[in-house]
Amino acid sequence: MSKKLTVIPEKCSGCKLCELACAIKHFGVNNPKKSAVRVLVTYPHPVVRMPIVCSQCKKPPCEDACPVGAISRSDGVVKIDEDVCISCFRCVEACPFGAVYVHDDCTFPIKCDLCGGDPECVKQCPKSALLLLPEYSLGSSNRLNNVLSYSQMKEIEYSEEGEVKTIRYAEIGKEEL
Amino acid sequence: MTLKGGYFRKYLHCDLSAGTCERLPLSDEIIAKYIGGRGFGAKMVWDNLKAHDFKIDPLGPENLLVIAPGPLTGVYLPASGKTSFVSISPATGLYGDSSMGGSFGVELRQAGLDFLSVTGAAPELSILFIDDDEEAKIIPMPQLKGKSCLETEGIIKKHLGSNDVHVAAIGVAGENLVRFACVNGDWSRNAGRTGIGAVMGSKNLKAIVVRGEADLPVVDLDAVIQETEKAMRYMREHKFFHVWQQQGLMSVIEYANTQGILPTCNFKATVFQGHDKINGETMLDRYKIGDSACFMCPMSCGNICLVKNGKYTGTVTEGPEYESCAMLGSNLGVDKFDAVLEANRLCDEYGIDTISTGGIIGAIIEGYESGVVSLEDLDGSEISWNDDGAIMELIRKIAQREGIGDTLANGAKAIIERWPEMDKLLLQVKGLEQSAYDSRVGASMGLAYATSDIGAHHTRAWTIAKEIEEGANWTPRQKVDLVIYHQTLRPLFDMLGVCRLPWIELGLNERHYEKFYSYVTGKETTLEDLLALSNVIYSLTRRINVHMGATRKDDTLPYKVREAPILTGPNAGKKLDAQEFDKMLSLYYEVRGWDENGVPPAEMEALF
Repeated sequence: MSKKLTVIPEKCSGCKLCELACAIKHFGVNNPKKSAVRVLVTYPHPVVRMPIVCSQCKKPPCEDACPVGAISRSDGVVKIDEDVCISCFRCVEACPFGAVYVHDDCTFPIKCDLCGGDPECVKQCPKSALLLLPEYSLGSSNRLNNVLSYSQMKEIEYSEEGEVKTIRYAEIGKEEL
Repeated sequence: MTLKGGYFRKYLHCDLSAGTCERLPLSDEIIAKYIGGRGFGAKMVWDNLKAHDFKIDPLGPENLLVIAPGPLTGVYLPASGKTSFVSISPATGLYGDSSMGGSFGVELRQAGLDFLSVTGAAPELSILFIDDDEEAKIIPMPQLKGKSCLETEGIIKKHLGSNDVHVAAIGVAGENLVRFACVNGDWSRNAGRTGIGAVMGSKNLKAIVVRGEADLPVVDLDAVIQETEKAMRYMREHKFFHVWQQQGLMSVIEYANTQGILPTCNFKATVFQGHDKINGETMLDRYKIGDSACFMCPMSCGNICLVKNGKYTGTVTEGPEYESCAMLGSNLGVDKFDAVLEANRLCDEYGIDTISTGGIIGAIIEGYESGVVSLEDLDGSEISWNDDGAIMELIRKIAQREGIGDTLANGAKAIIERWPEMDKLLLQVKGLEQSAYDSRVGASMGLAYATSDIGAHHTRAWTIAKEIEEGANWTPRQKVDLVIYHQTLRPLFDMLGVCRLPWIELGLNERHYEKFYSYVTGKETTLEDLLALSNVIYSLTRRINVHMGATRKDDTLPYKVREAPILTGPNAGKKLDAQEFDKMLSLYYEVRGWDENGVPPAEMEALF
């Protein structure tokens, strides 16, 4: 069963514990800038705190961009083969999420490897904003929320050929401000 | 001895008048004696004062501003995101400091610096940009004039084309030299007290911008991780941990109201009828949309709130926390949480301290009520309790120095000078407006405010809760000892560059920090060693204040605390016993080894 590292930005407090835990695990140094997960904050319009981390895409744009074929996906993880990588950082630019990182001290791009299936960031996040979920469950909370929103059906009246008719509808996915 | 870890042994010194920035070596001796943070700040400010024969105008170019994280800032341990801003305070004319959370200090350390010191004044409004190990730049940005703190951060990030920088900026109030202006970093983390924002304003320094990517020097990272796991487990299992995550300091509103220490209508009363309309539950039910935490903090005490309806619809603010909510809420008789949020937002945008602002506006409302302040003084606009429209207008006038705001912006001392009767209404010590804990209920809290080196702020010693819980039969000596212990331990957190909330609020054992310091620096150190150093710094800042003219008569308490009993609630009738206080103050000096005027021996200066 494939699992996916999932981010719930609404829960993130921006404490960056994930960054430091990741850097320590992978590089053994106290440096949040050597992390494969970074929290991006926007404020005040809109208010978002979001850890940005590799999605382990099944059709990875980073793989397509790699000129030497150093990137490949196996066992649900997109990996960079450091023996092949030439450090051109095309993968960094190609990632649509900006989830591949660069650090001055590091020859190779810094990218999430899911810690071999037990991600440190997930273990350490004090807010449960990072979760490792089975792929089949992705979207399930959205599905449920949308179904629940049907309980607040709205009606509009309109007239068609002189006859007044009603349509019932639900606003899907639109949160109440 | 050179420590193996904990320090880069470098600091950046910027002379804005000369337009120069230099990386200078930091000596092993200073590191060993002053640890970091507030310790480095106090030392540098002391040296600068001596160089100027103790004649320094807080708003003159000669006043040195030190921004110092500590050796534990940014390290993998709970809540390690604190930075001290240290200078001579424009509010008190004495030693001043204030600490800021977020990640600003982490970034400063990652730029390879133990601290930053700034002197002089730029010829035009500028920012200081420290980009990793490159040479720091002073960049004129006159286009930032009049911009709010948050706007400034946004404009700078756009200008530099980088979201990775961290910004500590002043707002309009800092530019206008409002003597309780603050510095706002990482969108809404403030070095709020003692008017450091005005010091930046006087230097034409609109913002400090920093980005860094160095490894932090930690000698035994594995040991740090193990210690952190223990500390984090303790915190997670604490029965109030989840309340903290949800409400942060807002949970204190109910506590303070129940205990009868919640400032209400300018400290006339200490129980507020509308407390349930401005408490943590109300915030959770109707306003909170997100959490905010400083670096490495699992407690996430910051609340992000949104007003969803009514006249303040669309107001977004990070906060309030207890002090802001009490001083801008109950202390002004305001029982509308949306108005508290808007006032909090305005203070953040203008860059003024919420505690001082709430204290001053409360005194003005009572002053108008009792005829001390006339309608003419108020520029013809009435103001009363719970009058949120007038309160917002007054906040704006203070920041923009308009009408009466021009006097109010000069802080407690200037207000009392203009309206001498205000001395009876405005709660302040040494010119700093009092925090939101009523010291008439606990004598130790009174002693804490009176002897705090920066004025009436709770950061040095917050003894009130313990005295309420356990102190009914304490002897004066026990109270004195508790105040001194707090005044020694609490500044230690500022020296190390970590937050004290895990200790004071969740009871995390302070012994963890001796281990953290030992593992980070590679030098085995005990808590007692660290406390001894912190204690010397308390005498150092005291010596600074003595040189700047402070004496025993300044270690006093506001008129209300001395003479006006609390009007209602469980503590109705309580006031400070002046004679008992005086005795306790003498005892405090004696225990500290200071003379009866509160002066530490001059020979101590050889230690500094």
